[in-house]
Amino acid sequence: MRTRFFTVIAVAVVITAVAVTVNLRSAETSGAPRTAWGEPDLQGIWTNEFDTPLQRAARYGTREFFTEEERAELDKERIALLGRDRRVERGTELDVAGAYNSVFMSMKRTGRRTSLIVDPPDGRVPSMTSEATQRAAADRAFRLALLQATETCKNNSTACAGGKYDPTPSARRAEVVDRYNTGRMNRHNGPEDGSLADRCLSGGIPEFGTAYGGSFRRIVQTQRGVSIFYDVGQGQGFQRNIVMNGSPHLPARVRQWHGDSRGRWEGDTLVVDVTNFSAKTDFMGSRENLHLVERWTRTGPDSLEYAVTLEDPTVWTRPWTVIEEFTRQNDKENRIYYEPRCHEGNYGFPSLLLAARLADKAYADGRGPHPATHDNATDFVGVEENPLAR
Amino acid sequence: MRIRLNASMIAVAAAAAVVGAAISASVTQSAGAPAPRAGDIAGRPNFSGIWQANNEAHWDVQAHAARPGAVMQPGVYPFEYAQVAAAPVVALGAAAGVPASLGIVEGDGEIPYTPEALAIKKQNAEHWIDRDPELKCYLPGIPRAMYMPYPFEITQSTNKIHMAYAFATTARTIHLDEVDPPPADTWMGHSVGRWEGNTLVVDVANFNDKTWFDRAGNFHSDALHLVERFTLATPDVIQYEVTIEDPKVFTRPWRISMPIYRRMEPNMQLLEYRCTEFAEEFLYGHIRNEPLVKRWEGETMIVDITRKVPPGDKFYEWFRK
Repeated sequence: MRTRFFTVIAVAVVITAVAVTVNLRSAETSGAPRTAWGEPDLQGIWTNEFDTPLQRAARYGTREFFTEEERAELDKERIALLGRDRRVERGTELDVAGAYNSVFMSMKRTGRRTSLIVDPPDGRVPSMTSEATQRAAADRAFRLALLQATETCKNNSTACAGGKYDPTPSARRAEVVDRYNTGRMNRHNGPEDGSLADRCLSGGIPEFGTAYGGSFRRIVQTQRGVSIFYDVGQGQGFQRNIVMNGSPHLPARVRQWHGDSRGRWEGDTLVVDVTNFSAKTDFMGSRENLHLVERWTRTGPDSLEYAVTLEDPTVWTRPWTVIEEFTRQNDKENRIYYEPRCHEGNYGFPSLLLAARLADKAYADGRGPHPATHDNATDFVGVEENPLAR
Repeated sequence: MRIRLNASMIAVAAAAAVVGAAISASVTQSAGAPAPRAGDIAGRPNFSGIWQANNEAHWDVQAHAARPGAVMQPGVYPFEYAQVAAAPVVALGAAAGVPASLGIVEGDGEIPYTPEALAIKKQNAEHWIDRDPELKCYLPGIPRAMYMPYPFEITQSTNKIHMAYAFATTARTIHLDEVDPPPADTWMGHSVGRWEGNTLVVDVANFNDKTWFDRAGNFHSDALHLVERFTLATPDVIQYEVTIEDPKVFTRPWRISMPIYRRMEPNMQLLEYRCTEFAEEFLYGHIRNEPLVKRWEGETMIVDITRKVPPGDKFYEWFRK
């Protein structure tokens, strides 16, 4: 990085000298590149090239940035994990279901920030309201009840944390959940029992990336128009068209999976206000009341800062803010998977449902165990713990 | 945020200076050219906005008479022209019919299928419900996405033109600059554009063989190659023409053309039609533990239409009101 910066300085000095002597008009533009029609230019394919945990590890306190030495040390530690194949609970069904190791994860170099969250100053998601805490606990209790008769709980797997083994299948298996389900559960009665990801419906905003699959966005602008296409979640990408005409948000009864984005320029920053989320979406417990204020600012030829403030008084006790620093990707190489075709290739989800029906039938015919004694919901249990999140 | 490297500040300033130089250079260059029209993007017609075709091509790109149902079965007569609506749509009455059209296929209106391909097209039409990718909410492909009955939004820049479609919240980017080909075949094609005067010409290739042209079973192979031409006929109408080539399916290239209209509502915006969810019952209904549709025989949905008319709404009662 340091060498690269010195090169940049050298090149920059030369270019600046040339530009200043040749063209005095450049003084009219501020820092950011501009489009042909004079608006700040945010265009290109952008991604976060570094790994930064959403929340800051407690040991860093209110410190926003790692030292270079810390980053090098963390990278050393993380690289060492790449070759390992840690398996838990050998000989159990989880050893098969969770047959993912670090090979299946994308690992990038440690970023300069200790957390994506910059506010509150401790870099942590603010505490939840008591209402939201109760909702989350009730949801967890239901999911644990569906797991109680499985080996996962019998073996005290972390996936059963907070629950306990009971060989009798829970009566709660017959319950209709009182909120729209968005996460995987150990019941597969129909598509609604599946997670949004398993149904190819998970791509959403805010988008902070995951360890599996990339997180790319392509911005194309026109005069008074901004389009953002997301390539996320292994083919679960989606499209946002930012409404830039100054009109108010959609009526409250019009809800969308990706909300309603209305933008304006504040100096060189694109400010986007997002509301009208569907109750079928869930970001860390926040649903139809989620309100985002995004600030997109070009900070250099190849850098873009994305800051977003999340607000939902029914879930969090205060708003919180995340900053991501994106790097521009090569336009010619075009390494963005702009075709979200998870659904078109989704043979996994119907297979899961079909297998559940076969297990139901085998049990009914006296040929198989009670379906509730099998865990068909847990995976990734054996994956290496990320030192960044520790 | 607060800690900024001096180097990157210099780089930003330098980049701004370069861009500033580029802007003033282009202004100087175009001094002798005709004055740009309002809204032009870098001297080219601006297609930005929300558009929608307004025709029947999504039912059948070829000329056709109106039909009583999207799915039909023999009625009392043995004639094909006297078929009646079939069970999957009969409950919808006249709302389930297919409107007539003069078609969008240029020339004699025929699609030059090879004999083998024509047989497949006919089978496709007979098995529409099971074969049409639209019903499964699969990516619609090009050109079909251009004339489905859903709006789409064009965001036109200088090096890229982005088209976002309401149906399936899909999109495509038209590359006006140099770009590498995609690593695999695609549903929506790989679009590379250029300007011929005021016409945007887009070459689309790298398709898979899974998309259709309409609900009538018209199809193509992975050898599909399109040349699209977009011309602004008026500020609010795009004349859209496509030359369609696929040597595995057609004996010669053929052409379609149509106007595509601007959505003029002042509050118009692209809303989602994220149909993945809507197709779940259709795709997975038979593997629920308690099916919502009363009769599945394996993967075959038997539609028993029970339509109880509530008191006061019986035909004769309604007629007397």
